Amino acid sequence: MLRRLSVLLLLVRMFVKSQMEYRGAFWLDRLAQIISYGAVLLGMWILLQKFELLGGWNWPELALLFSFQLLAYALGASVSFTQLRDLEELVRLGTLDALLTKPINTWAYLIFSGLNIGYAGHIILAIPVLVWALLAAQVEWSIGNALFFAGSLLSATLVTGAVITMIGAIALIWVRSNHLFSIFFGFWELTRYPLNIFPGGIQAVMLTVVPLAYISAVPVAVLLGKPVPLLGDFAAPAALLAGPLLVLVAVTHWRYALSRYQGAGG
Amino acid sequence: MSAYVAFARSGFLTSFAYRNEVWANIFGKLVQVFARVAIWLAVYAGVTAVDGISISDMITYALLGGVVMGATRYDRIVRHVGNALKTGDVAVWLLKPVHYPLYLLAIEAGASAYTFLLAVVPTIIIVALLYGMQPPASAFHGLMFVGFCALSFLIHFLCAAIFGVLAFWLMTVFSLEWLLQSLISLLSGLLIPFWFFPEPFGTMASHQPLAWLVYYPSAVWLGRLDTIQTLLYFGFGLAWLGLLAALLALLWHRASSRITVQGG
Repeated sequence: MLRRLSVLLLLVRMFVKSQMEYRGAFWLDRLAQIISYGAVLLGMWILLQKFELLGGWNWPELALLFSFQLLAYALGASVSFTQLRDLEELVRLGTLDALLTKPINTWAYLIFSGLNIGYAGHIILAIPVLVWALLAAQVEWSIGNALFFAGSLLSATLVTGAVITMIGAIALIWVRSNHLFSIFFGFWELTRYPLNIFPGGIQAVMLTVVPLAYISAVPVAVLLGKPVPLLGDFAAPAALLAGPLLVLVAVTHWRYALSRYQGAGG
Repeated sequence: MSAYVAFARSGFLTSFAYRNEVWANIFGKLVQVFARVAIWLAVYAGVTAVDGISISDMITYALLGGVVMGATRYDRIVRHVGNALKTGDVAVWLLKPVHYPLYLLAIEAGASAYTFLLAVVPTIIIVALLYGMQPPASAFHGLMFVGFCALSFLIHFLCAAIFGVLAFWLMTVFSLEWLLQSLISLLSGLLIPFWFFPEPFGTMASHQPLAWLVYYPSAVWLGRLDTIQTLLYFGFGLAWLGLLAALLALLWHRASSRITVQGG
């Protein structure tokens, strides 16, 4: 067990070292991402200066939603997105066959040999905005609320990682999976806004088939004591349980997809 | 000239080969347009008009944003230059008797035509049937909207190509693509029209070139500009087009004389 852990740590260290080889370019990329997400936040601020409320949410509450979503996404995607997006190419070229023969779990190798520290930019922006918004949005703090905040953030991170893993793993069966990420990001952009502003159909999809409402809208609404459409009183346990449950589904799906893998490259 | 027509045709047909991606794209766009409409419905919250702009105007504005920005993809153009630079293909393009920026324009025109016909038009029809869409303010405004759309495509292309060519100096397109994304999301008027910006930022934003991407085509359709203003701002748009084309030509000239090929 310890030996396996040390191998994974070595993989992470090697990848980080390779990423930091071009240190200037690395930080320039992070700066560009911070500016890009900052522009989205500025857009929201401009809108709220004019209209004050969006679906009953004020500016600090929307900033809380935005930063919670960005942080949960960055943490979850750093252990899934680029690695699983590139899986399609590994399948197409046949490179995955070589990985399957390695004496290490294929998923663990993929994830840790490509642990994306590029999400540092997202985190650098998300944390100060989150801290400011938590203070400004008048959250009623209690031990229960604090525990819920930490637990739901962890759960949201797991939801992100699990959904991306499930999409990426489809490449093992269909060879192509990247077009499904367009659908994922279409829904993902909606998670910056309160769930109650969308039509009932989109709300239902985001709570079930594409369960991205659990990475921001549901937990933040519970934290602020706002009603959650369709879930009602069940929203708090749903926000906490969504992550662990989806991880179990993703593990089962990954194993199934790997068992169906036949190879595509040569 | 016939070579560029062939490139445009190739761009169209290449998109045709990846039909799954087009279907996924239609679905993705449908969700985004629905979202923009939902945001306006939510902020208006039962109020019929804000600053003389009705909710029906804003739904039409959100749909028109989908029409003018739905087909062209700045990221595709920036990445095309980035890949050509990374693989060394750009050296091959310099040897060919074609002008690389014009080749990029032809390929993008073909790919955009495909996405427009197969993804944008169906998406807009579906959302317009559900939420309703206003017709153009007059026949003149409708006609000028077509002209503004052409201007929008060309300015969009030029901005993306300029950012792509900057990679010759920075040697990375990742940050350039993200920077352009931030500029477009805020300064094209795609998310929020400039009439809702606090002053003087609204006036400033409506005179920079990205304003011609979404803001002016949509404002003209809605009749927010009278005949004189429409023609005047079409002229300003043409001037920006000329300036950006000259800037791209200059940058391309400089870039092709200092090229360092990494791949090959």
